[in-house]
Amino acid sequence: MTPEALAAAARDRLPGARCESASGSVTLEVSPAGWRDALRCARDELDCDFFDWLTAVDEGERGFTVVVHVYSLAGRHHLLVRTQVSRSSPALASVTGIYRGADWHEREAHEMFGVVFDGHPNLAPLLLPEGFDGHPLRKDFVLAPRVDKEWPGGREPGEGEDRPARRRLRPPGIPEEWGPR
Amino acid sequence: MGAPVSDPGGGLPAPGHGVYDDSQWASTGDLPPRSRGVIALLEENCTACMLCARECPDWCIYISSHKEPVPTEPSGAGRGRPRVRNALDRFAIDFSLCMYCGICVEVCPYDALFWAPDFSYAERDIAGLTHERAQLREWVGTVPPPPAIDPGTGGR
Ligand code: SF4
Ligand code: SF4
Repeated sequence: MTPEALAAAARDRLPGARCESASGSVTLEVSPAGWRDALRCARDELDCDFFDWLTAVDEGERGFTVVVHVYSLAGRHHLLVRTQVSRSSPALASVTGIYRGADWHEREAHEMFGVVFDGHPNLAPLLLPEGFDGHPLRKDFVLAPRVDKEWPGGREPGEGEDRPARRRLRPPGIPEEWGPR
Repeated sequence: MGAPVSDPGGGLPAPGHGVYDDSQWASTGDLPPRSRGVIALLEENCTACMLCARECPDWCIYISSHKEPVPTEPSGAGRGRPRVRNALDRFAIDFSLCMYCGICVEVCPYDALFWAPDFSYAERDIAGLTHERAQLREWVGTVPPPPAIDPGTGGR
């Protein structure tokens, strides 16, 4: 299916969604309430039988965008489906019942961004060690090793090991209370 | 079987030799010029401006330098005013941290950093993945010529 045909079919079947087709890729934007329906439609009606990936994007105050990429093996067309959840309660219906492959991806998005997928069979951490505190892919997550390590960019041009101590800069991304020590 | 075991650590090649060589894997000659294998430093072009070290998201570029007086010409502009330039003391990239994003190559205003396709520099000791200045300079010899620009673009 061409991107144009796919976009037309998507618009036809999901009138509530915003559908963009640009430079050969089709993106469907849906409300969190319509998330599961949109993905069921993608699988059953738009022929996107292959689940590629799901992830989230930290949009700051606007919350989190959750994005899924699915593909049609027969029709060779790609589809991005996305929605936005709030920062205060980032919850979304799990699509593991529609695409089983979403299981690990939702677990990863859960531990990395703190998005809760309602109805997921086992939302346990996938990559992080047990007891890990925080969501490392959120933009406000502080990378603790950066407080310990001297920022290689803290030197001025022409400075070496002997650079003056007054220029111990606080590296980017480290809150004021954290350093330098 | 039967070969003398010179390496008590196991079957890895000796330090400094890649785990993959061209006979086992792809040849770098088959790779497109845009390949991100390793980063080469043309230190003649580097002014130690620190931009790459500051932009590197992984903090894996280490630079130190000192200021050196530039011999002034006996006559002409700038005469009498002592001038200095930065001279590199150390330039190193730690490829055990590098994520090959290419930001340093993009940001360098003096065309001192280049991608080279060689990927076969696995090491037994992780410290060996920090390539110092001399090694980074050697990679320059493997930088492919840039591909021709697309027809109809770039002309003036
Ligand atoms: S490629 Fe990226 S991570 Fe690697 S040295 Fe350059 S800026 Fe740093
Ligand atoms: S940005 Fe280029 S010129 Fe500046 S320090 Fe890095 S390599 Fe050298």
